[in-house]
Amino acid sequence: MTERWDRTRVLALAPDAPSQRTAQQLASGRAWPLTGAAGAAGAAGGAGAAGAAEAGAVWGECRGSAAAPYRTVVDLSGPAYRCSCPSRKFPCKHVLALLLLWADGTVRDDPGGPPDWAGTWLAARAARASPAQPGETAEPKDPRAAARRAEQRETRVAAGLAELDRWLCDQARQGLAASQKHGYAHWDDIAARMVDAQAPGLAERLRALAAVPHSGAGWDGRLLEEYALLRLLVVAGRRQAELPAPLRATVRSRIGFSLRQADVLADGPPVRDRWQVLARRDLEQERILVRRTWLRGAGTGRNALLLAYAPAGGVIGDSLPVGAEAGADLVFYPGAVPLRALVKTRHEISRGGPPAGAPIAGLLAGYATALAADPWLESWPAVLHVTPARRPALAVSDAAGDAVPLHPGAGDCWPLFALSGGHPVTVAGEWTPRGLWPLTAWDEGGTAVPL
Amino acid sequence: MSTWADLVTASLIGTERAGVPRPGLPGLPSLEGASADPAALLLDRAALLATARRAGRRPDHAEPLEAAAPDPRPAVSQAAAGRLARMLGGEHQDLLVEWLTAVMARGQRVPARLLPPLLDWVRPHGPRRLVAEVAGTRARWLAWLNPAWQFVLVETVGDDAWRVGTTADRREYLAALRARDPGAARDMVTRGWAMAGGGERAMFLDVLENSVGPEDEPLLEAALDDGSEEVRGRAGYLLARLPGSALGRRMAERAAGRLRLEGEPPGLRLAVFPPAKADAGMRRDGIPPGPTGGRAGPADQARLMLELVARTPLGTWTRELGLTAARIVALPAGPWTPVLFIGWSRAAAGQGDAEWTAALINRALTSLPVPADTSRYSPAELQPLWRLVRRAEPALGAPGALATPGPDTPLAVRDAIGVLRFRYDMLKELDDDHSAS
Repeated sequence: MTERWDRTRVLALAPDAPSQRTAQQLASGRAWPLTGAAGAAGAAGGAGAAGAAEAGAVWGECRGSAAAPYRTVVDLSGPAYRCSCPSRKFPCKHVLALLLLWADGTVRDDPGGPPDWAGTWLAARAARASPAQPGETAEPKDPRAAARRAEQRETRVAAGLAELDRWLCDQARQGLAASQKHGYAHWDDIAARMVDAQAPGLAERLRALAAVPHSGAGWDGRLLEEYALLRLLVVAGRRQAELPAPLRATVRSRIGFSLRQADVLADGPPVRDRWQVLARRDLEQERILVRRTWLRGAGTGRNALLLAYAPAGGVIGDSLPVGAEAGADLVFYPGAVPLRALVKTRHEISRGGPPAGAPIAGLLAGYATALAADPWLESWPAVLHVTPARRPALAVSDAAGDAVPLHPGAGDCWPLFALSGGHPVTVAGEWTPRGLWPLTAWDEGGTAVPL
Repeated sequence: MSTWADLVTASLIGTERAGVPRPGLPGLPSLEGASADPAALLLDRAALLATARRAGRRPDHAEPLEAAAPDPRPAVSQAAAGRLARMLGGEHQDLLVEWLTAVMARGQRVPARLLPPLLDWVRPHGPRRLVAEVAGTRARWLAWLNPAWQFVLVETVGDDAWRVGTTADRREYLAALRARDPGAARDMVTRGWAMAGGGERAMFLDVLENSVGPEDEPLLEAALDDGSEEVRGRAGYLLARLPGSALGRRMAERAAGRLRLEGEPPGLRLAVFPPAKADAGMRRDGIPPGPTGGRAGPADQARLMLELVARTPLGTWTRELGLTAARIVALPAGPWTPVLFIGWSRAAAGQGDAEWTAALINRALTSLPVPADTSRYSPAELQPLWRLVRRAEPALGAPGALATPGPDTPLAVRDAIGVLRFRYDMLKELDDDHSAS
């Protein structure tokens, strides 16, 4: 049985803003001659869909431009969707509209269960099932075989590092001038070879490089930085035995060796604090939705980063609300700059006020210290008390007159300007080498506003 | 830092043809001899310098902005702000004007964070003056920064707009004048009438629509003889909305005896005696003769009856039949049931009659009168309901104010009721104590 979602949760599934708009226009009974739900309020589902119906399912027929109605079905446990429309968006507007109707309570439970076209799909899904967490490795069954596999992987990764080193040096030898003419394949090929070498962290960094030559003025310098830092990672990976343990953990995690969550929780000392939920950012990488939640300990002053994953179009449930203050025991992944953490025990959650904003000089000094320990660190949590400005470029400026630019990818930042009105505001975001990516600001009432 | 630029230049050319510049930064190792390959040396020196540049970054300077003037009005409550965000996202956008007007009337303002989407919404869609006022000083400050929102800075439309402006300018000017001084706007229309084209005359009447009063009757009555069919139609529609108008009395006379009670309770039913054809007087009052010229086919009769009911003061029926609105709308009338329902719904929406509106919505909720042979509802039957729920007293959307939807209540009717509930909730939120937020 599934509790009814609210509209916000439904709209969060939308792949983009236009989808949200069209779905809301379509979420009207006139467009939906047939709708039904099972398991959403404890009703018995049809025999074929019993498994899925326990978790809840919603279906409907929507009149569209085609002669036959579009048939839309949602398995709420995934959630997973199926729609007969030709849209390539996922989920499509019909799925979103159907869920909005359901969220509004206008879809009634159908004791007869779903119609055949929905029932067969739901039954097939129920038959498969058992979703695995991405990035999670299963408990090893046979320790000796596991040790052998681990050893093989070290060998493969070492060979991959050597290959990447040759590729990087080839780039520097031939010159980067031609990079703007290369297609995606130029980086995807070497990324694919790193996937084969079981170094997914390197592969991800390489795939992201395809966008750099088209990132505007200064692209050549940025591409050189990326190649240089990759070469630094290759060298560090090759010499990892000589490195101190925290730095070695950083290097291995950036290459793509992942730790099992259970091991992290078992090994690390829990850090108890009242964690201020500063900001959240959702990114889509390779059909996976990654949610970064930045925290700061009110007592310890420590920064923490929670990562959560879902398949693209999926829902990341149970996130800490931005602006709240959550009492929790966190366990940090090992590293030269321990940022990534897991929640071990969650205590009370309360409505928090704005965090204390640092001056810009303090942010830059903190980032410099962190870089000294982990030179690959590209996103650093920032909490500033600043006023946005527009000249000579979009920036934020503090009481001391210091300013840092806003990240060009963050757009025109009008909501930040609107909130400020030319007065200082507390802003949280990610500090990167290209500028500040603002994510949250606190309004005059002390309420956190996601930007 | 010239050293970095030198490294970038060398990397663009490639170490096959370019040498590797030495980092000229004191304290940085040169890495000479660390690698035999010049390409590797280039990358290693770049890594060193890139990290040093990132870590050693100095703050920039930015030109401060002048701060926005304060806005003494309180912002709407959290709940109301959340609803505005949803409406701007696409939910019930047609109710935004009502929401904004209500915010304005309560002396509240839109929270700053929602100004950018609100200004973007209003730019192509319409009520710019209303938005400019509700949004206040912060919106003017934003408009000063973003040329796309400069319409907020235009204080009022000047007289020039009336003399030499486009139809849209003239409309805005007239609407502003009507809001300030209804009589002056009416005089302006009367003076401009003869010179204006048909489309413009129709626009004049549009502007009067939401504030039409008894003083407007002579103008409207004269417009019934206008050369443009569109203008005649609108004048008739506005006069039908006006309580006590001569047109309303003429309609009541025409309606007399057209609905009669038959049978005994509980078998009481309505018998309908439609007009045979549209005579000259009916045509003048805005009932179009129709494609068959008003000849007495069944479809034409149904249409004539519908148009007549839609323009007749609703009090006529309660008086003639001696029953309450709720009783009347529930009476069976055979194939005439949907015709009467649509006609009454249009009349109730136009005349703003709360009793009839509640009765009709309740009737739709318990069972929408549809012809027995159609399984779906045609848009013509739902449209008046859609208008009713937007014009009805918002209090009708309060929990328990209306009948509970039955198991057979169609989704479309539930949707329409959803609009009422939405309106009730959105206005209630604005009245809730928001000093807590």
